Amino acid sequence: MFLLLSLLAFSCTSQDICFEDSVSELVASFKTETNDIVSDTTISGVTVYGIREDQPIYLLYDSIDVSEIILPLDPHHNYSNFVFQVNNEADTLNLTLKLTHSSEVYLISYTCGFGNLFTLNDIQYEEGVIVKDTIINPLINTSLEEVDEHIWLYF
Amino acid sequence: MKRLMNISGSIFKAGLLLLFMMAMWQPVAGQDTLRTYGPRFGIDLARFVFILADPSEMGAEASVDFEIYRNLYPVFEIGYNSISESEELFNYSASGIYARAGFDYNLLSGKDRSQHHSFTAGARYGVSVFSHSAEDILILNGYWGDFEYDSYEKELKGHWVELVAGVKAELMPNFFIGWSLRYKILLNPDMDPLVKPQLVPGFGTGGKDSSFGITYSVFYKIPLFKR
Repeated sequence: MFLLLSLLAFSCTSQDICFEDSVSELVASFKTETNDIVSDTTISGVTVYGIREDQPIYLLYDSIDVSEIILPLDPHHNYSNFVFQVNNEADTLNLTLKLTHSSEVYLISYTCGFGNLFTLNDIQYEEGVIVKDTIINPLINTSLEEVDEHIWLYF
Repeated sequence: MKRLMNISGSIFKAGLLLLFMMAMWQPVAGQDTLRTYGPRFGIDLARFVFILADPSEMGAEASVDFEIYRNLYPVFEIGYNSISESEELFNYSASGIYARAGFDYNLLSGKDRSQHHSFTAGARYGVSVFSHSAEDILILNGYWGDFEYDSYEKELKGHWVELVAGVKAELMPNFFIGWSLRYKILLNPDMDPLVKPQLVPGFGTGGKDSSFGITYSVFYKIPLFKR
């Protein structure tokens, strides 16, 4: 009986709390390249929109000075589209950034549930503002560490 | 862990009782002093008690051992485990069979060989073949809209090693009761890198790389011969 009561007491357990977001985000760092030397750079007046099919566009960054941006990836398609607006002294430059990816689900934790694990396949953009790109880490999950960098965009 | 502490506390008391019974055992004058040999079959009763505490998890386990050499018992165990849980963002289930092989060594080396009580230490190697699946997966996404995924399923094979300590007391001729406490280490924790299994049958639940386990079993030894 004592054993039985002990076992039944176990059913009163505390509920774990999830502290992790379930959105997978790509980190794009801004670079310049001079004489084969790559260095960090900050771009002024950057505005970024997420382009969603059948939904209103989503403002991610609103005219700020940044050296990297964090872009949530679209789990409903094998691509994610973003529009960049960069203000320079003379004009506002626009370009569309298309990230092509595949994805599969993975268990973040029993408490947090599932997330999307993306594999970045390709980066497409109009020539002009961005001159080059490099994929540093093609795997994008829900865990964002400070050291994470997925792509470099050269200006 | 709370569950394990509750269970192991009760089992520990039961074990002390068994040890006390074994210490008090005295052969009756004129009693047969020969040792009985034969395969000893067991059923783990703790599996059935676990169902009362956690109906989402079910299982059954049977074992057989045989004293092939003085105090040395090769052991073979087979079983079945399943779990089915409904979480807020997904439903999870896993089920499969397992087998363990190893040995127990009896540390009680009394002069009276007709006594079959034992306090054993041993080791096991376990293998499990099972499947696990998640259904009705919902991934919350404030940017692109929540993402629904019907089902994820995978066939898996897990293997592990165990250190085992246990007690068996012969309550009636050839009829035993006993318990064991086990420490288990999973040898392939990355068997599914996308979804860590919440149950490896025979190893344990919780998605951990090491775990504790207990058995509380009854045994019957088929008396083949005496010497």
